[in-house]
Amino acid sequence: MSIEKITNPFDARHWIGHMEADYMYTLGVVGERFFKELKENGRIMGTRCPNCSIVYVPPRMYCERCFAKLEEWIDVGKKGTIHTFTIATIEKDGKKLEKPVIYALIKFEGAHGGMIHKIGETDTVCIGMKVEAVLKSPEERKASINDIAYFRPTK
Amino acid sequence: MYGKKRVAIVGAGLTLFRRRLKETGKELAYEAAKMALDAAGLELRDIQSVVMGTAPDAFDGVHMKGEYLADGAGAYHKPYTRVFVGGGTGVFTPLAGWWHIASGQFDTCLVVCEEKMSSCYPHPQYAFTTIFDPILERPIGMNLIWIFALEMQRYMHKHNIKKEHIALVSVKNKGNALDHPCAQLAARITVDDVLNSEIMAWPVQRLDVSPTSDGGAALVLVSEDVAKEITDNPVWIDGVGWCIDSTHWTNRDLYYPDYVEYAARMAYKMAGIKNPPKEIDVAEPYDPFDYKELHHMEGLLLCKKGEAPKLTAEGVTQRDGDLPINPSGGLLGVGNPIAAAGLMKVCEIFWQLRGEAGKRQIPGDPRTGIAQAWGDLMQYGSVIVLRR
Ligand SMILES: [Zn+2]
Repeated sequence: MSIEKITNPFDARHWIGHMEADYMYTLGVVGERFFKELKENGRIMGTRCPNCSIVYVPPRMYCERCFAKLEEWIDVGKKGTIHTFTIATIEKDGKKLEKPVIYALIKFEGAHGGMIHKIGETDTVCIGMKVEAVLKSPEERKASINDIAYFRPTK
Repeated sequence: MYGKKRVAIVGAGLTLFRRRLKETGKELAYEAAKMALDAAGLELRDIQSVVMGTAPDAFDGVHMKGEYLADGAGAYHKPYTRVFVGGGTGVFTPLAGWWHIASGQFDTCLVVCEEKMSSCYPHPQYAFTTIFDPILERPIGMNLIWIFALEMQRYMHKHNIKKEHIALVSVKNKGNALDHPCAQLAARITVDDVLNSEIMAWPVQRLDVSPTSDGGAALVLVSEDVAKEITDNPVWIDGVGWCIDSTHWTNRDLYYPDYVEYAARMAYKMAGIKNPPKEIDVAEPYDPFDYKELHHMEGLLLCKKGEAPKLTAEGVTQRDGDLPINPSGGLLGVGNPIAAAGLMKVCEIFWQLRGEAGKRQIPGDPRTGIAQAWGDLMQYGSVIVLRR
């Protein structure tokens, strides 16, 4: 067993390798519809399980609790509540972010689910704060979760 | 009686945990496995089956990691499988070893865990960014530290817990690790050191977090018949439990780990434990972050919800307290080579129950101990109950 205390991995003899693979991820049956609604109609949709009375946001094809196929679509609106949040100050490589970014878990009114997203137009947040989604303009929307630019405190 | 055969642990092995070790992943697996065999007084030819535990392929950078590590784990020409349940892997691997023997199929099983996180650069955090949903979460730029910050914040909010009380866990564990010969980040620190350390994603600060590491760990499991032949002091696997919660972590409350409770209840039922705080003498809950030790003490039913910080402040969880928690020094002190770190906890309980923990030995006469690991998207719990 080697006993040296190496703190910089590059100090040990090594070979630099690379995992070459890029991916294109399928949106899926339910994802296609969710993002079409978001892009074209500016609506955030969920699906409801009739057995469990749960509204899933983002929507799912099936209920993971009872395995029912979900076919009832509901517009859950753009308003929600901050369930918990963090203020990120460093990047994954340990470098400082130029400006802190607030990320929050937002629970939608009348829905079981929630969404992780950025919080904008404010420097202070708290658990329980009411927020609403700010969508990009229809021309800018690309059928991506980033069609929601961020959430901001409701006026 | 659960299963066809009672299962004993008869040997344990552990490598150093370091930011980067000279050994390859295979060599780490070999070092740990060989140590465990030597401790059990057995040879590789005595081993009938092998279970390997190791976390995402992206750490070692080999997309066939189970097979890649097989020879180091002693699997040549043997029934072999690799198991992987994220951070829960280290405690899940001996559970898989347990059913190899409890099923009646084998009398011996070598259980090996390895992690070589230093291969991934500039930082293993990059591998963690691809654990999130590729459509809903990754485009936002998710990062592992941030989701733990969200969970920690929710836990603190729900029970009105102060960061000072959470920091005590880091102080205790890094201090305990001073007595661990394999430890990577043993240190005598203060609560102020934690509170003044770099803020990563509020409320998570640098000293709230365990380091990334290279390391290996191993156990030798045998049936009761074999145990009686080769040792006078076997440690029995008397309870096993595991459970997964919804992968849609944004659907959960986050303040309490239900799935850990379900896994614990399964293991306690098998072990006949009715009053966990009274009947458990020592525990090694998973502590990749300081708040997680508290979160998991509650999930393991070692105290009431929200009560773990108070017990910590009162010294109950110190080595000489009524309920020693992470006497090894945990992931915060010994290090966090994911799968190997979880198995390190099982090794610690094994040594504690045999009275072989050296300077880390807890006082009294511990007879029952538990270890627990946790992983995936804050959703997986694995629990093992050991008895002398
Ligand atoms: Zn349902």
